[in-house]
Amino acid sequence: MNVLYGTVLATVAAAGLLTLVRLVHGPRALDRILALDVLVTMVIAGTATGMLLRKDTTSLPVLVVLALLAFTGSVTAAHLIEKREGMR
Amino acid sequence: MTTVRDVITAAVLPAGAAFCLLGAVGLLRFPDVASRLHPAAKAQTLGLLLILLGTAVQMPLRHAPVLLLIAVFQMFTAPITSQIIGRTAYRTGALDRRLMFRDELADRLARDGTPVDGPDRPDDPHGPHGPPPEEADR
Amino acid sequence: MTRRRHARSVMRHVPMIAWLWLLWVLLWGSASPVVLLGGLLVATVIVAGFALPPVLPGAVPRPLRIGRLLFHLLADLVRSGAVVAWQVVRHGRRTSAAIVEVPLRVDSDLLITAVAEITTMTPGTLVAEIDRGRRRLYVHALPVDDEQDLVRRKNAVQGVERRVTRAVGAGRRHRGGVTGRDPEGGRP
Repeated sequence: MNVLYGTVLATVAAAGLLTLVRLVHGPRALDRILALDVLVTMVIAGTATGMLLRKDTTSLPVLVVLALLAFTGSVTAAHLIEKREGMR
Repeated sequence: MTTVRDVITAAVLPAGAAFCLLGAVGLLRFPDVASRLHPAAKAQTLGLLLILLGTAVQMPLRHAPVLLLIAVFQMFTAPITSQIIGRTAYRTGALDRRLMFRDELADRLARDGTPVDGPDRPDDPHGPHGPPPEEADR
Repeated sequence: MTRRRHARSVMRHVPMIAWLWLLWVLLWGSASPVVLLGGLLVATVIVAGFALPPVLPGAVPRPLRIGRLLFHLLADLVRSGAVVAWQVVRHGRRTSAAIVEVPLRVDSDLLITAVAEITTMTPGTLVAEIDRGRRRLYVHALPVDDEQDLVRRKNAVQGVERRVTRAVGAGRRHRGGVTGRDPEGGRP
């Protein structure tokens, strides 16, 4: 099973790298927010797989916190952008 | 019992990873923010749900509810995030209107007298009211 | 306030308290007396302190149909994941999108939210803007190549709406006239 977990982890990591490209590239702030949001879901997925690989569950609360933070963070950032652009 | 679990995980985990990867590729390949929201909201959420399912099956039973909670949370927040980002993208003119076959929201706003002043949008031959005058000089 | 009305208003908050309590216990991951009591206390304080308006007047929740709605939602999510993955591979840069206006029949915050959420989970559609006053969704659809696609998308969203109303009822009925400033408001 460890081979499976490793492969899955590698795939998720590759996906994370691709998302990172979008995060760096932009071109707009909204693209970056979206990329960051997706990146956090990938971190959640990767951490979950990592728990299987390492056979311990200590990082379970981290997943919950990440899931909460990603949502509030993205929504707040999008609101800020809307406000900023609306003022021009 | 363990074999059943292993089979489920072996089926579900790679599928989830594949959806994650495809979501990331979509994020890279699609041309504008609104199109990128589609893989981000759907492929990504599905990928995460599958991976969480594959994880939950392998875990001791008392951890399963927490993973379920994360899954449910993700499922209900992903549409909200994408709606807010989509709305902001529209309002700040971040959408590429040349890629759009039809924009009924712009038509609506034009009829209300508050046309969008985003990037140039080709004259819409199907639009019931044509492009608003303000857009012509952009 | 008579005693009966008081009791009813307390009853109205019970589901919310129960849900918060459940959340608390799940997040602590144990069911020791301290956690149980503390959770009940926190949930009650939160519900009492931050009272929410009744979210759906006149709703008739039907558990079986809500279950079916959730099942549909999961099935839709799987389908849309597959569809969007295919689009990524097949179309990539050259997609053609559209923003479709969908008039809704439901008129309650919760129902419109539910329709919007499920619409985002159905293949190829994503809610970009909600016009609460006129009860319209503006749906970003992908891919849209011709008029037929537009109509298909619109019908799909209204199908979602039908499923939602079948599950929890339409809430308060909305008779025409209030939003009369929009002459094209009615559905074909």
